[in-house]
Amino acid sequence: MNSMKTKVILTLILIELTVCFSFAQSAREIAEKAADVISFESMEMISVLKIYDDKNNERIRQIATATKKFDSSTKTLIKFLSPADVKGTSILIYDFENESDAMWIYMPALRKTRRIVSSEKGNNFMGSEFSNADMSKPNMNDFSYKILGTETVNGKICWKIEAKCLNEDIEDENGFGRKVITIEKNTYLTQRIEYYDFDDELLKIMSISDYKKQTNGGYFAFRMEMQNTQSGRRSILLIDKLQLGTELSENSFAAATLGK
Amino acid sequence: MKKTPPIELVIRYRWWFIIVPVCLSIALILPLKKASINPDLNAYLPSDVPEKINQDKLEEIFGNSEPIVLFFHSDDILHQTTLERIRNLSKAFGRMNEFERVISLFDTKEIRGDQGFMNVDPAVKRIPTSDIRREKLREQLRNNELAYRLVVSEDFQYTLIILFPRKDVSDKTMIGLIHEQLQEFPGDEEVYLNGTPYLRYEIQRKAIRDLTILLPIGLTIMILFLYFSFHEKRGVILPLSVVLMSILLSMGLIPLIGWEFSLIAVLVPILMIAIANNYGVHIVSRYQELNAKHPEWSMRQIVIDCLHHLTRPIVLTALTTIVGVLGMAVQIMLPPKQTGIVSATGIFFALFLSLTFIPALLVGMKKGKIQNSFIGSDPTIVDRILQWMGSISTRKPVTVIVVFLSVLILSGAGIAKLRVSISNEKILPQKHPLRISNDLADRYFGGTNTLTLLFEGDIKSPVILQTMDRFERELMQMPEVGNVTSLAKIIRIMSRALNDPDDPFYDTIPDTREAIAQYIELYSMSGDPDDFEQLVNFDYTKSSLTIQFVANDMKTFNRAIAKIDSLKASSPYCTLEGGYSLMEKVISESVVRGQIYSLIFAILAIGLLLFIIFRSISAGLMGSLPLLFSLICNFGLMGWTGLELDIASSLISSIAIGIGVDYTIHLFWRLKKELEQNNTMDDAIKNTLKTTGRGITINAISVILGFAVLFISALTILKTFAFLIIFSLLLCLLCALMLIPALSKVLQPRFLTKSNNKNKLN
Repeated sequence: MNSMKTKVILTLILIELTVCFSFAQSAREIAEKAADVISFESMEMISVLKIYDDKNNERIRQIATATKKFDSSTKTLIKFLSPADVKGTSILIYDFENESDAMWIYMPALRKTRRIVSSEKGNNFMGSEFSNADMSKPNMNDFSYKILGTETVNGKICWKIEAKCLNEDIEDENGFGRKVITIEKNTYLTQRIEYYDFDDELLKIMSISDYKKQTNGGYFAFRMEMQNTQSGRRSILLIDKLQLGTELSENSFAAATLGK
Repeated sequence: MKKTPPIELVIRYRWWFIIVPVCLSIALILPLKKASINPDLNAYLPSDVPEKINQDKLEEIFGNSEPIVLFFHSDDILHQTTLERIRNLSKAFGRMNEFERVISLFDTKEIRGDQGFMNVDPAVKRIPTSDIRREKLREQLRNNELAYRLVVSEDFQYTLIILFPRKDVSDKTMIGLIHEQLQEFPGDEEVYLNGTPYLRYEIQRKAIRDLTILLPIGLTIMILFLYFSFHEKRGVILPLSVVLMSILLSMGLIPLIGWEFSLIAVLVPILMIAIANNYGVHIVSRYQELNAKHPEWSMRQIVIDCLHHLTRPIVLTALTTIVGVLGMAVQIMLPPKQTGIVSATGIFFALFLSLTFIPALLVGMKKGKIQNSFIGSDPTIVDRILQWMGSISTRKPVTVIVVFLSVLILSGAGIAKLRVSISNEKILPQKHPLRISNDLADRYFGGTNTLTLLFEGDIKSPVILQTMDRFERELMQMPEVGNVTSLAKIIRIMSRALNDPDDPFYDTIPDTREAIAQYIELYSMSGDPDDFEQLVNFDYTKSSLTIQFVANDMKTFNRAIAKIDSLKASSPYCTLEGGYSLMEKVISESVVRGQIYSLIFAILAIGLLLFIIFRSISAGLMGSLPLLFSLICNFGLMGWTGLELDIASSLISSIAIGIGVDYTIHLFWRLKKELEQNNTMDDAIKNTLKTTGRGITINAISVILGFAVLFISALTILKTFAFLIIFSLLLCLLCALMLIPALSKVLQPRFLTKSNNKNKLN
């Protein structure tokens, strides 16, 4: 009986401590931790991208992705597995930290690799509702962070963190004015991100689920859904297979070998 | 004095005949409060018109096709300040929820191949600050098929911002936002707006302005005219109250039936001012005449005599006017139908009020002062002209007929040149920003007419895209066609960017489905998904090919359509043809057909009425002559002067017939009466012109004054309407005063000369 009491008191103290500790963290620190917990140096995966229009018509693409961090940049290789007419189309992206990205495409029907130069960053990822920015780690310095409060999502206690674009250029680049990120307190796993447009109206909601713990201790989300509340379109990204690390050498991430 | 029961009834229950119509008219203000104006002519096309169904289908697949276009003009639009303004504005519009998509120099893409690169950039990536950079950008834009002649003119003096508003945003909100932003980012550039939403907004604004300005001015002119005619308050109040109540009834009827006001509904109150006072005027005039001739008569005696003598002619002339105006109701488009039905009802109400409300009020009034005009005075200029007309048509009737015939042939020849309006924007004045920007679009940006072809099938298959490509090349060879936009064009541009000139893939639609699919996949990665939405549907089963062309007349338009139709017939994949231009064409054709229906209806109905009234076929034929004469001259004048047949001018024939036939009827009556009194034809004609001739001339002047108010309308088609209706009415008057007497003299028709007591008219 006594020990029971002690346990309860200890738990209470622990909760108090956690809460105090939590609030001691700044909004930015929480957001940073949430980004770190799903960050990987390198990996290979096979995923399915389902794109729906406002009438629920479906377009499905199966893609293989390999990512590896090198000295100056993170290099990503994307290869279409289906549908048949684009099978073999490969894209190579160099994500430099301090300069604009470089991108090459290999089109099997033309048997040619071409470098693509595009200055637009807020672009949608492969014609889906996900933006290219959603697919990579955000630059923490582009936003100001604020804790809006806590919320329970699917029985999980979460922080609500607001990340606001610092200026209009950043807004234009990202395609939104601010986002509200819901992060689970215990695990720092992001559950949901709401994007608000320049008039501060809800634009898109990203729901992230099916987190699986990886061998390195980090987590990886196997399902992401982006719902555009204004256009009615939505897209779902499902991870079929995931492997941490890649055996691909830096040579494989070169324009000259793309498509081979 | 013979007393007829209806007049007794009116006198006995006179308060009922006063209060009920007044209350009814006031009650009709209520529906008027909720009334709305629908300025969109396309909205009036019946929903089962194939062109409308096709347009709806295209909008369903490819989204809103009603953009607002902003034209910017400066000496060189590549100047730094101009480009900065364009950038700021397109950025601001792009951030607004009200607009789905913005196209400007900063959003249009440039797809360019360059030493193994493919560049996908905005057409203007960076604003040039030096002359060298500016010229480099100019060269770049000249080579950019997605920008040159689409968002920037060849001479670099004009550039566009194209806004695609969301469907649920009202025209007013949208135009308000645009003006707000133009003020927020001011500049020296001249800015002109264009596009269907702006056209609707402007017509609506001008129609409301017309209603609020024309009505009071029209009423003021009427009041002045009545006062100068009668020099007595009751001479103003009685006809005025009839006009006011008829306006309320006819206008109130529109929302009551569940209609919206069309832009030509503005004509209804003007029509009422011009027509509805006539019957009251006759009664007041007769009252003044009797008051002068029989000072000993009581008011009751005067009123009874008035109605006894005037009921029949008033009813008959009102009936012919109603029948003429109803000619509009057989038209195809709702606006003329609506105008016809409510003005016919309004005229009927005016007739009823003139025979009940006016006598009921008059009988309760004290007798007024005796007016000098009835005691006899010096002949006025009108009297002298009428005298001259009387003598010339009796002395040289054949010459008069020959002169009329020559005029008829001369002006009638113009009918061959008569053109039908095919564009709605001609409703607005020539100097209006929308008309200016329309000319600019025709001159620099490929034309204002657009037509879209729908392709169905596996859009990624080479055969469909190659067909689209062939269509584009054939169409671009036509001088009228300015631009053709399709998925095939984008694929071709990409094929140039991705391949070297010596490569077989260069500047061509690839032969394999895979290659096309990969081009499309590549484009969807570098652009916005919205970029493609207007060209191809989500699952690549439907694609559009949009043709922009210049056509300012039906002939050019039909030639362009014929070519497009023949292309369409050549491919099984091209399944449908749509576009606003086709709807405008349907409107034009409906106007022409409606015009023919209403002409046939009115002429037949009036001929029949004249036949019934005078029990004679030759009366019907002779009475229709002035109408035919003035209508042929009217259409001839339109042909010679280049005034086009449109939704408003198509009303002229019906209204002219309805009003103009009255003059002939009045003239026949008097002539017949004079002849019955054993006068010679010459004396009969002279006496008729002196008496009835004077009456119908004054009446015509009052009607013409009523219509003349339309000259200050803000809408060009209503001004043109005023000019033509006045011209037609003057011709009807001239016919009644000269041609009919001359013809009567030459032909000596039996219906005038035979004495028939049964057929006595009054």
